[in-house]
Amino acid sequence: MILRNVAIRHGRKALSAPLRKSFLRTLTNDTISAETHSVERSIENQLKQTHSIEANINQLHLTDSFVPPTLASEASEAVLSNHEHKRHLKKRTGKLGSVVEKHYEPQQLVLNPPRPEDVTLELLMASQSHLGHATSLWNPANQRYIFGIRQGVHIISLEETAAHLRRAAKVVEGVAYHGGLILFVGTRAGQTSCVVKAAEMAKGCHLFEKWIPGSITNGDQILVKCNIKVVDKDDVDISSGYTKKLEEWKALKPDLVVCLNPLENYIMLHECGLNNIPTIGVIDTDADPTWVTYPIPANDDSLRCVQVIAGVLGRAGQSGQAKRLEAAAKGQVTWQPPEGLGSPEPDKKTQREASETNSLIDPRGTLDPRMSLNALTPEAQIAKPNPIIREEIPGEL
Amino acid sequence: MKGSWLPISLRETLQCAYSPRPLTSCRQQALNIRPRQFTTASRKQAIAAPEINFRDRRDRDPGRGGWEREREIGYQGGGEEQSAFVARLLPVSPSYFTAQPLFTDDFLVLQNLMTKHSGLPCVKPGEHPRVAWRSLSEYRDRVGETVKAAKYHKIVEILVRLNKIHPSVRPEEVQTALDQYKRNIDPFKNEQKTAQVDSLGRTLGAGRRKSATARAWLVEGTGEVLVNGKSLADAFGRVHDRESVIWALKATNRIDKYNVWALSMGGGTTGQAEALTLAVGKALMAHEPALKPALRRAGCLTRDPKRVERKKPGHVKARKMPAWVKR
Repeated sequence: MILRNVAIRHGRKALSAPLRKSFLRTLTNDTISAETHSVERSIENQLKQTHSIEANINQLHLTDSFVPPTLASEASEAVLSNHEHKRHLKKRTGKLGSVVEKHYEPQQLVLNPPRPEDVTLELLMASQSHLGHATSLWNPANQRYIFGIRQGVHIISLEETAAHLRRAAKVVEGVAYHGGLILFVGTRAGQTSCVVKAAEMAKGCHLFEKWIPGSITNGDQILVKCNIKVVDKDDVDISSGYTKKLEEWKALKPDLVVCLNPLENYIMLHECGLNNIPTIGVIDTDADPTWVTYPIPANDDSLRCVQVIAGVLGRAGQSGQAKRLEAAAKGQVTWQPPEGLGSPEPDKKTQREASETNSLIDPRGTLDPRMSLNALTPEAQIAKPNPIIREEIPGEL
Repeated sequence: MKGSWLPISLRETLQCAYSPRPLTSCRQQALNIRPRQFTTASRKQAIAAPEINFRDRRDRDPGRGGWEREREIGYQGGGEEQSAFVARLLPVSPSYFTAQPLFTDDFLVLQNLMTKHSGLPCVKPGEHPRVAWRSLSEYRDRVGETVKAAKYHKIVEILVRLNKIHPSVRPEEVQTALDQYKRNIDPFKNEQKTAQVDSLGRTLGAGRRKSATARAWLVEGTGEVLVNGKSLADAFGRVHDRESVIWALKATNRIDKYNVWALSMGGGTTGQAEALTLAVGKALMAHEPALKPALRRAGCLTRDPKRVERKKPGHVKARKMPAWVKR
């Protein structure tokens, strides 16, 4: 709209009316705005009050009805049925499809390790046992185990590895056969499972954490808390007859130590050397083969290689133990008892019974005092009726 | 309990004191070890090869060779000589050379359980049952070995993982293993006891601050306060302390609605006054549970855990250092 034409278009009305109206409005508006302001204020106040009350109530409500998180119980049946269904499906369809030929399953080397007769150059190659260290890191004492150099890395001769591994397996088997205590040591990360498995198979001991220096040379101090037991030729625990001797017996020492990482366990190998304990060790190209009695030149940085070696030695120990028990079943004892262990002391009951039999059977009392001890063995029990037997079979009396 | 830093005579005593096993199984060390300390091997052990037993040569079977040639000892070997009883010594646990056989065995058992049952379904994060595991000292007492905290933490980590297996599919062996490491008391089931109004209309609240303790009985009344039998003005000289005592009532506008009868002991005036704040606040909350948020905001329900800081060696007080002297 053009302002200069306003007066022409609307005449007097257009010029006067808005002025009057606005004047009136200003007069009236003043009181109204004051009123609305006060009303608004009061409403605000009311709202604030209600808000604060609500907040209070809400807070109370929350603290009262707060329930700590618990198990969703309604889902438990669903979880169970889902799990059962999954197992069922896996069982039914797990063997369908193509068969994968010859592949590496990491856990199989631990669960089902190879035997000494399964050791082939292919297996050793597949498990990376030929890889040595960079040529600058080598120990020249390993020269005869080294096949050559490839890309600046020494390659270990697999024939040497296999031969030395088989020899070590023979040693482990022999020690196990002769009732020796074999200690498997692998203190690097990841070696726990194979070390424990090998010790379990060879019925030996395992060590997968730091070797406590002095465990052999100062075992009487360090291994005080570790209990020992007495077993007979069939590996049956007969500690009850030796309680007094066991209390005072000095700490045991291993008869053979298998070390999977000799570089980190120099102190242990040194202690073994001081005590004439033979050692078997995995010697990489940077290790010193003179630290151990029976070196196995192989890659000690590869877990797969270490698992193969520990598994083979564990299997060897297993077969040695089996042969020993087989011989024991035939009555042959393949080991010598430790010096000073002697015969078990008779428990009081047996002693009393023995004295009674003495008085009954042999009034002169010339019965061999060892008779009551021999009575513990099956042969003696068959040979001579004995009060123990009578006690065990009440029907006889 | 290794205690290798102790003299031998003390060491044995401590071993016996700390060992949970009977004394007989603690092998006697103190008396026997002394003469043996100078040599690690007996004379027989120093000889590389065992002595040749010529009786073996007679019995030798020409068909066998090498180590397969058994030496026959015992009853089968013939009774021409005194037959020895055959027995040999073995460690009870395969973890013998770890010097912590019980701990290592426990660890391996749990680890085996974890790998065996790793495929089982787990509960949603945060929904697993809350469990208080045995503390390190409790575990040490049980096995009687010096187990480091970091090593026990490995066990606890496995337990936490096993605890996440869904309860509906959790195997029996896992549950028994978990139960072995649970504390006898479940602190998470502990419900706080709420104070009640007794038959005479009283409520009792207890509070502590610094080394002071206080008990306050609250009854509906006209706003009288007695602390240790004295009026508020007699009991506390400072105005601030007087205000502290009735702060719970003041903050909730209830000074003239309740009577307070309180006992306080130990500590100083500030400690007693603020212990009373807590005691009166708790007692008031028993009367009117709806006041809890207001009391919480007023700081009448929170125990102040600050204590006197201990004095340190090399310091004059807790932190004050001796004055620096040039020489």
